[in-house]
Amino acid sequence: MVRGGVFVAALVALPLLGFEHWVLNLMIFTLMYAAMSSAWNLVGGFAGYPSLGHAAFFGLGAYFVGIWFQHHDVVTGYEPFVILPLAGLIAAVVGFPIAWVAMRTRADVFAIVTITLLFVAQTLAFNLDSLTGGAQGLAMPTPPFELARFEWPFYYAMLWLLLTSMALTYLSMRSKVGLSLDAIRADEDKALGVGVHVQGVKVLAFSVSVALVAMAGGVWAYYETFTYPQFAFDPIITIGMVLMCFLGGRGTLWGPVIGAFILVPGQQYLAYRLGGSQFYLIAYAGVFLLIMLLMPRGILPTIADRLRRRRAIASSSGPPPSSDVPPPSSGAGTNVPVPSGGAA
Amino acid sequence: MSSGNRLRGIATIAITSAAVLLLTSACAGTASNSTSSSAGTGSSAPSPSTTAPLLIGASVSLTGDFADSGKAVKAGYELWADEVNKKGGILGRQVEMKIVDDTSSPTQVVTNYQNLITQDKVDLVFGPFSSLLTIPASQVVKRYGYAFLEPAGGGPKVFAQKLDNLFFVQPAPVVKSGDVFADWVLSLPKADQPKTAAYAELDDPFSAPIAENIRARFEAAGIQTVYKQVYPAETRDLSPIMTKVAAANPDVLVSGTQSEDAYSQVKSLVQLKFSPKFMYMSNGANSPVEFPSKVGANNVNGIMSAADWYPGSPAPTSPAFVAAYTAKYGGSETDIDPSSAEAYSCGQLVEAVAAKTGKIDNATVISSLHQGTWPTLVGNLSWDAIGQPTGSFSLIQWIDQKLVPVYPAEVSKATPVYPKPNWGG
Amino acid sequence: MTGSVHALIQGVVLGILTGGVYALMASGQTLIFGIMKVVNLAQGALVVLAAYLSYTLFTSFGLDPLLTIPLTTVIMFGLGVVIQLVFLRPLKREDSAQLSLLVTFAVALLLEGFMSVVWKTTYRSTNTDYANSSWTLLGIQFTVVRVIAFVLSLIALGLLFLLLNRTKFGRAVRATVQNPMSAELLGVESKRVAALGFGLGAATAAAAGSVYGLLYPFNSGSHYDLISELLSIVVLGGLGSVGGAVIAALIVSTSSAVVATVFSPTWSSFTFFVILILVLVLRPQGLYGTVERGAL
Repeated sequence: MVRGGVFVAALVALPLLGFEHWVLNLMIFTLMYAAMSSAWNLVGGFAGYPSLGHAAFFGLGAYFVGIWFQHHDVVTGYEPFVILPLAGLIAAVVGFPIAWVAMRTRADVFAIVTITLLFVAQTLAFNLDSLTGGAQGLAMPTPPFELARFEWPFYYAMLWLLLTSMALTYLSMRSKVGLSLDAIRADEDKALGVGVHVQGVKVLAFSVSVALVAMAGGVWAYYETFTYPQFAFDPIITIGMVLMCFLGGRGTLWGPVIGAFILVPGQQYLAYRLGGSQFYLIAYAGVFLLIMLLMPRGILPTIADRLRRRRAIASSSGPPPSSDVPPPSSGAGTNVPVPSGGAA
Repeated sequence: MSSGNRLRGIATIAITSAAVLLLTSACAGTASNSTSSSAGTGSSAPSPSTTAPLLIGASVSLTGDFADSGKAVKAGYELWADEVNKKGGILGRQVEMKIVDDTSSPTQVVTNYQNLITQDKVDLVFGPFSSLLTIPASQVVKRYGYAFLEPAGGGPKVFAQKLDNLFFVQPAPVVKSGDVFADWVLSLPKADQPKTAAYAELDDPFSAPIAENIRARFEAAGIQTVYKQVYPAETRDLSPIMTKVAAANPDVLVSGTQSEDAYSQVKSLVQLKFSPKFMYMSNGANSPVEFPSKVGANNVNGIMSAADWYPGSPAPTSPAFVAAYTAKYGGSETDIDPSSAEAYSCGQLVEAVAAKTGKIDNATVISSLHQGTWPTLVGNLSWDAIGQPTGSFSLIQWIDQKLVPVYPAEVSKATPVYPKPNWGG
Repeated sequence: MTGSVHALIQGVVLGILTGGVYALMASGQTLIFGIMKVVNLAQGALVVLAAYLSYTLFTSFGLDPLLTIPLTTVIMFGLGVVIQLVFLRPLKREDSAQLSLLVTFAVALLLEGFMSVVWKTTYRSTNTDYANSSWTLLGIQFTVVRVIAFVLSLIALGLLFLLLNRTKFGRAVRATVQNPMSAELLGVESKRVAALGFGLGAATAAAAGSVYGLLYPFNSGSHYDLISELLSIVVLGGLGSVGGAVIAALIVSTSSAVVATVFSPTWSSFTFFVILILVLVLRPQGLYGTVERGAL
């Protein structure tokens, strides 16, 4: 807890330490992906439903902010941040019926539905051009912040989203909701049989998850000052979220954050320094595959496993308990290995 | 100690080390980049006697959707840097281009210009490829007070931002590139003019607006619109639309296109055996090598397009450019992508400002370019207060399987051919 | 005939002809799912790779893309087997349902990266001299390449049918699709079937890819659009059913072309999705899929 607090304090203090703009710029995107990855974790990690269309809600948030400010003025520059919760609420409201229908299916069909959802959202953004500007794109109000601290509001907004997401994750892990999600992920039919409100819990997780992602989209759009359908509804965004969550460890509190802190600077570094080489895409995919094949549960659970085994071997008592059998989730553990089967 | 605590400990260590790594590289980056400009304002001028290299940064799309044009832009920038360095550089300083890849992504382009300006501390910046990327980039550049010479962002929304530091390095805003076709058609004797028109437009920030501009002028002149269709960018199969065009039997077909859809349109029309009397394509048809290769060399004659630079261009600096280009990159004149010429022109402008004012800081570039006319490969350019160039493009036509300028008279090398010959002729 | 009826018929013809190619691509996809319960998100990338192969053989050696299909099929078959062995087999234990989805997606990205290195990102299309010719029958245009594509797809699907129904391997495949455990008990080596099955799915991509390259311009990024269309088709047809995939491909392709021709092309890509959602709401197992325990 203390160490987590130190980390948070470090993040809060970062802009005050006078780093160059490009560092803050990098941190904004890192925090954004950390927040989104953490949000995705609720659905993909804890509930066990791999959504491949979360970017649809990212774009929804982006366009909501854009469209709102076609009709309202920005005076202080903070108005877009103020209406973020509204964007989140709308995303949750939109996500609710979608989850209700889509989460009644198998995990892989759920994935397909979410992929197509993303393309539907993108098509709508292109075609409803009187509302969204269509292919011409949508301009955001220009942020009136002074240059020296320009990135600060965006940085803190993203940080706030990350902390909110982590707080929600932490709370759900310690609550009945978390227990229900574990049960659903392990064996949905049995969970249903035992009296878990399967449908309600899944839909709740999805709605919360997409609300957070939508808010991230709103901040992103404001920072970019302009958005286009193919960039707001870009599958790469979902892929990033998923990859980071997998890298760090699904179903853990810190996993997605670690994943984001490793991958975002790494990817931007690769693109900036090595750019001009197509190998960057190969490297990205390669990392992805290596994780899947070598560390499928992600960094945190794998490291925790190894440490546990080493400790058990070091101690004089016998062989360690098998780590393939997941310890009964008490809600207190942050290490929740994801058993096979899922919701298939 | 529960496994939960241990886990948090590990997590903290991992994250902290990542953060430390990040911060170290940040500090290292800050410390090691000590070129002349100071951070933040970017408009302070190094003293003219310094011989430190003139660092010019640009983010171009070297991978992703815009990669081909992005590479052409890079080729143009680098060619210019080579050429100007051979002549002694700018104000005695050798030019060093720092070109980075934005992977055709607007998120990356913002990061790139942030990095170029505040990490690599470049003296000047040039623009990326495409309006889509130019818009977010221009906001970043504006904040730091840098001049933004950009060769490829000419859609209407670029100028809607009303930036005084932005200069679109082409003869006119993209939306107006088709005007020259409308000019020519409406200059014909009334009996020869088309009576009916069809419009097939790609839905993106440039193509559809060009066609719409032409349509407004045609309708005002009494040319009846018999069919209009805007199609989304991912449409691969244009036969349904071309079928309807053929059915409407227009005298003139105005196509707001990029490249792939232009090729598809022509191929469909050939298959449908429909050949309009006049045909204009905003893009795609102005590609000297690609177009005939994709649609068949014997199908190109008579199709018109617009261009700012083309092989045989009358711009005074063009022959030298072509010679240098082919020496450095090989191939022949017809292999040169106009994007390279536009990129090269950005460099020419910088050279010209330095020669005229003896200074090369951003504030000088911005104030100088807002006055007067500046000769470049793509024509004599001048801009209004928000960066829109005030010239016009040239109308080019395929004649005898070659692209030839035909209008206006000052650039014309041949009489425009009409009606368009049939396919295969 | 009147304009709009003409347009409608033209749309239907276009849809059917194109549907053949999609049927071929989708059949490989659904087969892979049937055997391994893996949604192969790399199928689109395999098709594009095959298109590049046939393009290169055509431009470098002048070999007609249709004639090189046997060669590309063999190459792609081998590639498919390798992919399965290297990337999918090791996933056996962990929750392979989720992971294999992402693994195939990562493979798709890997292929895309590889293709963009080798062939750059310029759009290509295989331009044979018959690429632009067409026949007219009763006022309806039939483009030569589309007809050839259709015929070819029929032949390939026929061969696939024969393979699945008349060979020992085919029987093993069908048994594995129906009930993997029983199949194992009866002596079918499910691992071998999985690897060869994936290869077979990739092989169908080969034939489809050669044709694809004739019809459309493509580059390394084209697989995204393709895969979303293919996914809609296989879900409609029922995951695992080859016959279903064929019929679904025709339905989807025709509806899409009709919408484009009669109404507006802006909404034609929507057709795929609308159909998908309707299927999932009304009949989630698709036309011919099996109802799974735990599904809707």
